[in-house]
Amino acid sequence: MPERRAAPAAPSAAAGSGPDAAGPDAAAGTQPSSGAPDPAPAPPWTGELRLAVAARQGRSYAARQFHEGALRILRPHYLDRSGQVTYTVVNPGGAYLGADRYLIDVEVGRDASLALTTQSATKVYRTPQGPAAQDMTVRLGPGAVLEHLPDQLIVYRGGSYRQRTSVEMDPTSSLLLAEVVTPGWSPRGEAFAYDELRMRTEVRVSDPSGPGSRARRLVVDQLRIRPGEHDDVAGLGLMEGHSHTGQLLLADRRLDDELYRELVALVDASATRSGITRAGIPDVGGVRCVCIRSLADSTERIAALHRAVADALRRRWRGQAGVRLRKY
Amino acid sequence: MGIEEPRPGRAEQGDPDGLAGLLGMMQLTDSALPTGAFSHSLGFETYLQSEQIADEDGFSAWLEAFVDQQLTYTDALAVRLVYAASGFAAVEDLDELVTAQALPEQIRRSGITMGRRLLSIGAASYPSPWTCRYQREVEADRMFAHQATVWGVLARSLGLPEETAVAAHLYAAVTSLTQNAVRGIPLGQSAGQRVIRRAQEWVRRGLATSRELVASGQAGEALGAVSPGLEIAQMNHERQRARLFMS
Repeated sequence: MPERRAAPAAPSAAAGSGPDAAGPDAAAGTQPSSGAPDPAPAPPWTGELRLAVAARQGRSYAARQFHEGALRILRPHYLDRSGQVTYTVVNPGGAYLGADRYLIDVEVGRDASLALTTQSATKVYRTPQGPAAQDMTVRLGPGAVLEHLPDQLIVYRGGSYRQRTSVEMDPTSSLLLAEVVTPGWSPRGEAFAYDELRMRTEVRVSDPSGPGSRARRLVVDQLRIRPGEHDDVAGLGLMEGHSHTGQLLLADRRLDDELYRELVALVDASATRSGITRAGIPDVGGVRCVCIRSLADSTERIAALHRAVADALRRRWRGQAGVRLRKY
Repeated sequence: MGIEEPRPGRAEQGDPDGLAGLLGMMQLTDSALPTGAFSHSLGFETYLQSEQIADEDGFSAWLEAFVDQQLTYTDALAVRLVYAASGFAAVEDLDELVTAQALPEQIRRSGITMGRRLLSIGAASYPSPWTCRYQREVEADRMFAHQATVWGVLARSLGLPEETAVAAHLYAAVTSLTQNAVRGIPLGQSAGQRVIRRAQEWVRRGLATSRELVASGQAGEALGAVSPGLEIAQMNHERQRARLFMS
């Protein structure tokens, strides 16, 4: 696909850790503009974030981190006594614009544990230059844990967004990926005014029998909503009268029948219209997969279900306290 | 375009009038073919129980969404990608992808159950290098046999044009789902025929959309794209108390 993006106005610092002072509004004036074409060869990503988490004596920490362009990361937090590190992704520009391309690359090493979240909702504005895109690549080592609990996604009028998430996990690692999607709005407050939303998540399980062997596909989760192609996006089979949708993907060897029944009870008790199922190809390295898909009328109702599921898994598998993500 | 599977010419196949492909298609997409399609609602039974589907209009609305979404983005693309396959390895990968993207367990199982029956009938009736290999790989548990991928392989071996193969598969799904609705809702036979007639427009739309996705190189990434409502209903079917259908 041809590159037609504008470079971010604020060249940001490259590698390094430490506190990042950029508040939610600090960089509001530095959004990439979508004006005249840039004659210079465009850098490949509007924003790039690379994070590698390792564990030492039960405490997880960033062994490497790198950010460039319109993606940054806040200093780490340790929100409970589990040793899990929590990182918060920040988009200093405040929103994704047309033809923007973002890369988030995450590696969680042996026995390390990462909770990854965002500082605020991911907003996609009008994208006349082409869809905004986010690619996320994840590698999970033996015994690694990743909980990805971003804020909701909002695609505004005239916006198109494509998200691709690609995970390669060790059969002994543990994965939780959550998403909440709002209806987006036009300036007049009309819902579902965006052009198209596509989210694709593919999880593969690496073969511990040796490097070079191909990771096997476990599951592919797809969501596609294109409001304009339907007479009624709220209709049967689509949003069915609801405004928000959510999805939660779990992959772990320990998702047994008893636990599945517990998760079904959480789904039934939630204030959402949700489905839950055992997803994916059976017996790929012994990893089991469960997917929950939801419809509701607020972000919070779906987020509450996602937290309830994450908390149940934390309790059972790690004796860890519930999710309490601090937002600044 | 990929290399065609080696196929004997018409004369060698004893096909002087050139009707072998058409007749094969009529056998394998007939709703009487014993694949078990009569026992799958593919999610509409959930709406039946919640009384969101109670008549011809309700079923019609669901079927249109189903054709636009699942049949277009999964089945039609899968058949087309078999036609685009340059070798059997691409079919193996596609078989895995189609299985991995079917999130609701009952949908994944129904695709495989019907696909295996279709493959076994098809490979026995119209043996070819790819159909026989597919059959061996499935017996050895190395492939799954999703129905759309199986039909793509059979149709290609029969020498059917791609558009015909996709249309026949979508139309067969529409017919069997409508027959199930006639029994399950129930609808009158005439109402069923009205829905089938109306659905031809949706099938055409699915053909065009899937053709464009392949032409623009997006088919692999788009395969399985679906809207939330249909999938939630398919997931919830497994937890319904009384069920007429297996999915």
